[in-house]
Amino acid sequence: MTTAEIQGTTLGERVPVGGRFGWLMTIYRYALVILLALVFVFPFVVMLTTAFKVSDEIFTAPPELFPRSWTLEHFYNALTQIPFWRFLINTVVIAGLSVLGTVLVSPLVAYSLAKLRWRGRNLLFIMVLATMMLPPQVTLIPIYMMWNKVGLTGTILPLVIPAFLGTPFFIFLIRQFLLSVPDELIEAAKVDGASEFRIYWSIVLPIARPALITSAVFQFVWAWTDFLYPLIYLNDEESYTLSIGLYSFLGQHGVQWGPLMAACVLFTLPAFLIFLMFQRYFIGGIATGALK
Amino acid sequence: MSTALGVVMMFGGALGAYAQDKTEITFSYLWGGAEGAALEQIIADFNASQDKIVVKGVSSPDMTKQLASMSSAKGAFDISDNFASNIASWSNQGILLPLDEFGIDTSDFPESVMKQLVVDGVLYSLPIATHNFQLVYNKKLLDEAGVTPPTTTAELAEAIKKLTKVDAEGNVTQLGLGLTDISAGMKTLGYAFGGDWNRDGKPTPTDANFVKGVQFYYDNVVAPVTPAAYNKFVAGFGPYMSDQDSFKQGKIAMVFEGEWRAKFNAEAGMDWGVVPVPGETPELLGSTWADVSTMFIPTNTGNKEAAGEFLKYIVSPPVMEKFSHVLANLPGRISLAGSAAYDDLPNFKVWLDAMNSPNTHGLPPALYMAEYNADLASAFDSVLQGAQTPEAALQAVADRTGSYSQ
Amino acid sequence: MSEARSRNSEPTGRALLKGLAFASPFIIGFLVLYAWPILASGYYSLTDFSLFKAPKWVGLANYERMISDAKFWKSLYNTLFFTFVGVPVDIAISIAGAHILNQKLRGQPLWRALVYLPSIVPAVAAGFLWRWLLNAQYGFVNEILRWFHIPQPNWLLDASWGGISVIVLMLWTVGGTMLIYLAALKNVPQELYEAAELDGAGPLRRFWHITWPMISPVTLFQVIVLMIAFLQVFTQPFVLSKDPGLGTQTATGPGDSMLSYSIYLFQNGFTFLKMGYASAMAWVLLFVTLAITLLILWSAKKWVFYDNR
Repeated sequence: MTTAEIQGTTLGERVPVGGRFGWLMTIYRYALVILLALVFVFPFVVMLTTAFKVSDEIFTAPPELFPRSWTLEHFYNALTQIPFWRFLINTVVIAGLSVLGTVLVSPLVAYSLAKLRWRGRNLLFIMVLATMMLPPQVTLIPIYMMWNKVGLTGTILPLVIPAFLGTPFFIFLIRQFLLSVPDELIEAAKVDGASEFRIYWSIVLPIARPALITSAVFQFVWAWTDFLYPLIYLNDEESYTLSIGLYSFLGQHGVQWGPLMAACVLFTLPAFLIFLMFQRYFIGGIATGALK
Repeated sequence: MSTALGVVMMFGGALGAYAQDKTEITFSYLWGGAEGAALEQIIADFNASQDKIVVKGVSSPDMTKQLASMSSAKGAFDISDNFASNIASWSNQGILLPLDEFGIDTSDFPESVMKQLVVDGVLYSLPIATHNFQLVYNKKLLDEAGVTPPTTTAELAEAIKKLTKVDAEGNVTQLGLGLTDISAGMKTLGYAFGGDWNRDGKPTPTDANFVKGVQFYYDNVVAPVTPAAYNKFVAGFGPYMSDQDSFKQGKIAMVFEGEWRAKFNAEAGMDWGVVPVPGETPELLGSTWADVSTMFIPTNTGNKEAAGEFLKYIVSPPVMEKFSHVLANLPGRISLAGSAAYDDLPNFKVWLDAMNSPNTHGLPPALYMAEYNADLASAFDSVLQGAQTPEAALQAVADRTGSYSQ
Repeated sequence: MSEARSRNSEPTGRALLKGLAFASPFIIGFLVLYAWPILASGYYSLTDFSLFKAPKWVGLANYERMISDAKFWKSLYNTLFFTFVGVPVDIAISIAGAHILNQKLRGQPLWRALVYLPSIVPAVAAGFLWRWLLNAQYGFVNEILRWFHIPQPNWLLDASWGGISVIVLMLWTVGGTMLIYLAALKNVPQELYEAAELDGAGPLRRFWHITWPMISPVTLFQVIVLMIAFLQVFTQPFVLSKDPGLGTQTATGPGDSMLSYSIYLFQNGFTFLKMGYASAMAWVLLFVTLAITLLILWSAKKWVFYDNR
């Protein structure tokens, strides 16, 4: 193997691969990545094909991957047996409100940590870090009692209000990002007589857009896939989210794999679509968030 | 948005209710699937029979969610069902509405049942259906193997041996005796040997004869095929009472089942039968235990009167008869035991007769049921895995009973 | 520097007010959602109470009971098993996968998307899906093993494999970590590799002496984040083991191998209504998390390399 070829495997796209066995290496590389992707994607394929299989075909041992006869009955069953649209709307509402809260509040706090100098700053930063590491189980029950006392259990408010009080992870993420915003910009605005909030709102926030979008997107996915909190706070079937709806579907109808897989496909579809639309931000955001 | 919509809907609903004077209440029930659908018939009947109350039925099979709703400031239902075994514990928590104010006559309900539903002189729940477990068998498979339905545990052991099939590679293809509900089956076997897992209102997991019952299952069903093969076979069981149900598919030849099975088996077109649980001795024939489905109203309901009306309706003799018939459950009223309504349910008589048998054990009220059942479930699982002997597994449960709420 | 001059010219009192103003939502949130609940849960852990009745002081009784509670130890053992096996494997797979993704290939967005896709599936759906995949008789995982003539375990009904099934499910969402490492790999300066080339270092040595140290800050962060996540795992084992339809027994997997600490905590709190005991368990979890975090941070001195350029 030539030096160039070795460098090609460790350093990424920048070095072109040449040499006599270049094409072999290319095939090898593609094979690896396809295999990797396959491992992650294969379960989806099973989920899809099972959803389309006629019931009898589902229980064949040894299992066959592709259906011999295709049917839409499971999708029909899943859609009529569960109030899918209501659950979808509920989930979107909760996720949307959470995102709103995060995007409004977390940057505020991050700004105080990154761009303001004040006496309590370090203490606040430690508080943010500490709460990031706290297992939610510790506070689960007292928080439940608290919401119960004010009569809000059984509503979506316990799921949404915390986002409006700042989420430690996003505060941290945005803070890291804000640190790299040049102070000269802020200084210039101050010289012009702008108030701190004005500076925050009109100058810093627009620059921080990538971090905000990343936070929004992550928050959306977290709220979308949350299970434990809806489980204990939502009692009325009217207000169930997709996660709880799917879970109660299991309880109500037993493990009927056909409709269950169809329901899983339906429940994953919206998330998949959102993902396709915002792909850049997901993947870019992960990198930004973790490294800065 | 949905909250706003909800508010508008509620307002509109309230307005509509005011205009028509209708109260809407929610009846959340643990039943699901076909049984849930049957229950909806009953609800529709009630709604049609009067125009003051509209009942909305919701299938919600998870008991934890039931509890969560009852403990919330804003509950999700006004009336629901559960089992008599939980009533004492729940009334102790203060989440059950006392029912004395509705003035329902309780003389037609079995004394053994009422004992569980009246706590400290206060009535908290009413029975809607009772259940007991008997030995259901696949006639076709028994005939093929030349086996007659067993009447003693010794005969049962013999029958299991003849009905268990293993292929050349050691994989099980048919089990003589299976468990569609592990805990229910094990408890029934315990009674068959004269044991009791909850004697005199105290948890008694190490009751000698109860242990014997569990040991019986292990020795005769699991051990001969090895736990590994047993569990591999069980992994392939389809969902309960579906097309892939293990009994329907002929994967298990005999099973301890409740009376609701009669309807399912009939609809599945199976050739089946049922006999009283074989006992270790002739006196123990038909030993089984009874559980009671009961109706209750949570304290956090906002529609006490309407819920009470519906409660009176559903426990009234004609409605209860229809309910139990449609779901193929045993009725909660003594007067209905001999009703001709059940004649069209094949083999139902065995369960009906057991209702008043002395060998049918009721469950005294206990505060620790949830925990005890969870621990027993772990113990049974351990036995079926071949990880512990029944004695050891149940002793482990006994060690935990010290911390149960009593 | 201009920054220091203008910032320092501001009276500290006003600066303090500004800081507090901006941070106020979180300060409220911290007090209401963190500080008070932590203290309250500490108090509850010393009482015996269910949701509906007033707490009754019992001192350290809950903690004493924990010591002799076999299920408590089992749940703790399971969770530590998930963590100490799951996290290293997670990191290993992520680094390996990142290297694969880091090659010169067309269609990068596609590969990255496919690898990350499992992470956005609601955990409940993922749990059900894997229940189906891991079914001993009808599942595809065993089918694939059969092709390669590898013995097929009874994933969900064998006590020795129950815990591993949970880890497999959690590893399916390793994509996020993988992409983080991908970004980290791209940040490693080429010159270092070129220099090593010239010195005749092979791929493995280059990894160990260049890549590993350069990505170690990311590894530290990931180890802590993943460790915290694995210690709290709830949904995955809950859905994998839930007894379908039949009654409402609290199922915990074969031989209780899927009973995670959080599930047992949840059962105690919301099923058995022993909130005092559940709170005590929560505090123990807090200490365990803290202890392991500190341990990792302390060990970080030995293996984490900070690029001081």
